[in-house]
Amino acid sequence: MNIRLARPEDLSGMQAGNLVNLPENYLMKFWMYHILTWPQLSFVAENDKGHIVGYVLAKIDEESEEKGGEMHGHVNSISVLRSYRRLGLAKRLMMLSQDAMASVYKANYVSLHVRKSNIAAIGLYRDTLGFEVAEVEKKYYGDGEDAYVMKLFLKNQS
Amino acid sequence: MSKKTVAPKESNRYLSSKESSLFKELLSLYEAKQLKKGLKAADQILKKYPEHGETLCMKGLVLVHMGRREEGIELVRKGIRMDLTSHIVWHVFGLIQKGEKKYEDALKSYTQALRFDKENMNLLRDVAQLQTQLRLYDGLVETRYMLLRLRPTARQNWIALAVAYHLSGNLAEAMKVLVEYEKTLKNVPHYDVEHSETLLYHVRVLEELEQYPEALALLDVSAKDRAIVDKTAIMEIRARLLSKLRSAEAEHAWKVLIEHNPECYDYYKGYTSNQGLNLGLDENPSEALVILREFSTQLPKANVPRRLSLLLASNEEFEALAQPYLLSGLKKGIPSLFVDVKSLYVDPAKLRSLQDIAESIRKDTTPDPSSAPFSISTEPTTYLWSLYFLAQHYSYLSEYSKAMELLDLAIAHTPTLPELYTCRARTLKRAGDFFGASRAMEDARLLDGQDRFLNTKSAKYRMRAGLIDEASALLGLFTKKDAPSPGADLEEMQSLFYLLEEGDAHQRAGRLNLALKKYTAVQRVFDDYEDDQYDFHGYSLRKFTINVYLNMLDWEDHLRSHPSYIKAALAGSRIYVDVFDDPKLASNNVDGGGTDAEKKAKKKAKKAQKEKEDAAKKATAPTTSTNEDKGLDVPYKDDDPDGMKLLSAPEPLTLAAKLLQPLTTLAPNNIDVWISIYDVAIRRGKHLQAVQALARARALNPEHPELHVRIIHAKLSASIIPEPIPSPSGPVFAETLDKILPEDISLATFNSQYLQNHSTSAKAVLAAAQASRMLGTPLQEVEDLIFTALHDEVLLDIKTALEISGFLKKIKSSRVDELHKALDAKFIMSTAFKTLEELVKIREAVLTTNASSSNDRPDNDTTLVENETELGRVEAGGSA
Repeated sequence: MNIRLARPEDLSGMQAGNLVNLPENYLMKFWMYHILTWPQLSFVAENDKGHIVGYVLAKIDEESEEKGGEMHGHVNSISVLRSYRRLGLAKRLMMLSQDAMASVYKANYVSLHVRKSNIAAIGLYRDTLGFEVAEVEKKYYGDGEDAYVMKLFLKNQS
Repeated sequence: MSKKTVAPKESNRYLSSKESSLFKELLSLYEAKQLKKGLKAADQILKKYPEHGETLCMKGLVLVHMGRREEGIELVRKGIRMDLTSHIVWHVFGLIQKGEKKYEDALKSYTQALRFDKENMNLLRDVAQLQTQLRLYDGLVETRYMLLRLRPTARQNWIALAVAYHLSGNLAEAMKVLVEYEKTLKNVPHYDVEHSETLLYHVRVLEELEQYPEALALLDVSAKDRAIVDKTAIMEIRARLLSKLRSAEAEHAWKVLIEHNPECYDYYKGYTSNQGLNLGLDENPSEALVILREFSTQLPKANVPRRLSLLLASNEEFEALAQPYLLSGLKKGIPSLFVDVKSLYVDPAKLRSLQDIAESIRKDTTPDPSSAPFSISTEPTTYLWSLYFLAQHYSYLSEYSKAMELLDLAIAHTPTLPELYTCRARTLKRAGDFFGASRAMEDARLLDGQDRFLNTKSAKYRMRAGLIDEASALLGLFTKKDAPSPGADLEEMQSLFYLLEEGDAHQRAGRLNLALKKYTAVQRVFDDYEDDQYDFHGYSLRKFTINVYLNMLDWEDHLRSHPSYIKAALAGSRIYVDVFDDPKLASNNVDGGGTDAEKKAKKKAKKAQKEKEDAAKKATAPTTSTNEDKGLDVPYKDDDPDGMKLLSAPEPLTLAAKLLQPLTTLAPNNIDVWISIYDVAIRRGKHLQAVQALARARALNPEHPELHVRIIHAKLSASIIPEPIPSPSGPVFAETLDKILPEDISLATFNSQYLQNHSTSAKAVLAAAQASRMLGTPLQEVEDLIFTALHDEVLLDIKTALEISGFLKKIKSSRVDELHKALDAKFIMSTAFKTLEELVKIREAVLTTNASSSNDRPDNDTTLVENETELGRVEAGGSA
């Protein structure tokens, strides 16, 4: 699989991959907004036919003043098609995005939401990438499930 | 809206000082979207000046924002009539038209407004966005120039002018503007991402101007100053520029990139092409193989160099590389291993070799019950994954029973691995057993009900088997619960997969109205994608993310080259052509013909629509009007839920032409596009366009069976044109057609020659039969010809077999049953040619074996009869 920065022509493949894989879906304008605002942070994996088989969509957030006002990265959505698992694609996609968050935006940490029941994803974030659970957001998901907010502090790269 | 100057007393724009300040307040209230207060202010002015055009327009605008569209637009129109020389009324009108996505009209209104207020920044900015949306780049340069002249202190005005020059094709001017802009900058802080993006844009302009040394110099100095902060971008551009400059540093630059991301093909391509090598295209790849081997050693975890080596190597070297590649993939249980190596099969020797390696791994890992018990457990999963790999392999080679045997073994070994069932499903689908395929895919889904991927697959396979309601029930497990139907939610979320699959399923079942409805929805998704760029024409310039913005514009310009658009456009156009040929098709579907779930969904949708309208009515009542801003965009309203209006549209061919139009430039190498364009044009009496389309198709593949039929059709059509086509089209038409098929060859001879040349292709046999029918050959002879497609030496697949059956039905042949019987015997595993009674049983079996959604099916006879067409016309889908 080929792993590279996401480009505008990848957006419909990313949107389609998200729709067949995950329950949280977004309109095209949302996908466009992210890569047109933070063009360095989103990545894709494609197969040899050029079909998108995995992606990470990320952004930069500024905390509210009371929380410290820190710049940090946030992963909006990441998924790899079931038929392309066990290749380590999710890990590589995440690491490229994290690297860009730190080097381009000097982000202190990266956060994400994950379903409490999604053991596999939590395993990837915690055991492979080093994230920790920072808090629980009650009923974060449309169907009423709680989310873990997970965080990973990024090494400051100058 | 900008403030206005005071009008003289005799003018109909005059307001007394109280109302005049009230009007200014109205403008600020509108800017702040204080709609309720704005409405009040407008009403107050109108009390004293009921015919004040600008106030009428502003009131209308506010009302549209509040969701009272029709009433609002009425007022706007009235306001314009009252004050034709006001920039405000035209500005308001432009805003309304923009909300209706009538960009050309909006631009006209804005241009009108500018005539009365030449230096209005708001107007100019909106005009620039409209000009970009419409790709009127020369005008855009003028507008951006004006904006910069009016406010040179705004940084984005400089960038915007540079981008305008760039888009208009004037790179040199774009660069001049950037240089001037950078001179104006003082004290840019380090690590300013906006400035960094601007400089990266500047480097791009230099690179596109082929000023490589200058580009590299700017890049290097900006990187050193930390003015450009995107390190990956620096590395990539640097490597590319160094290669273009044939610098000795290039090799190292590419190497650094490979180390940064060892899974990116582009970097290896960059590295090797910098060495003068061409990955995969060189006659002697040994040099490239040495390089890749070095990278494999240096980066042991990287997959790309190992996989690229498989592409380049051959013979013993290939085997030596492929063995560990397959073994490691099977040991790790990588599900995509087969899909990964499949593209190597174009080389038959590699196919053979991979098969041998996989078979030998399977043999080595097969548990041996007679030996000591520990050996059984040595490689149990490797054994399992080798069975899975081989099953996919044989399925791909159309050795279906072999694939099925391997899957039986694998499932007996590990009954809980969904991939085994998805592979079984795909094999059955390829063999033409759509019901069995659907059942197998549902078995896979039931092993992991939380997985949307398997859910989607199972729904897709149900649609392929014509089980639309049952598919919808599955999709509904993951769609929003408050949506009118699962399909409505998927449509709203722009699921192209869903729209196409369901459209195709309806089309196969003869419900052309519903099929057309879905294909049109695909078209609308692309219209929305196109509209989505509008705001970015302003936003991206303020954010300075120019490079990605320019790439986005390019993507938008090629949007409809997307396979989903092409499919929908071709399928939709075919339906329009069929309806034109046989208008009865539109009236036959008059009950809407929906399936049960759709009828339910329609009721629910109607109810939801009514609730919406009621709510809107409530909102219209002055007492309940709120501040809620509904925006200016026209909300989508579906007043044709079953697609009957679409199907019975008075000008189907115009609609078809509109669907196909973008493809002439975006998919010019797709022969189906030109054939469809011919079909539409010839029926519209556009003879020249029709034969030119044939010429384009012929240039792509002169022997294409569909083209053959059209050539005969064109000749016949030309012979019955009532009066000669006037010059200059007439002579060009005759000349083009004569080039395709010279006058002195008789059509019958042409047809029989074609058949002779392609007698082992079932598609060609069908084409020849269709052509001879057109030429008036007696039915019996045509039937005899069609049946030759069943001969052993003829290559026949299920899809073509179904087309043949469709053709026999169309010409009202009495031998359809005979054909089906023969086809059923030929395609042993397929259910496509079973009799209706057999299908009823098979379908029941599928649904009762499926644990879910079988209980809500009424199983009385009426339902079964209703589904006759659906059962009879299941069609082979493309292999996924």
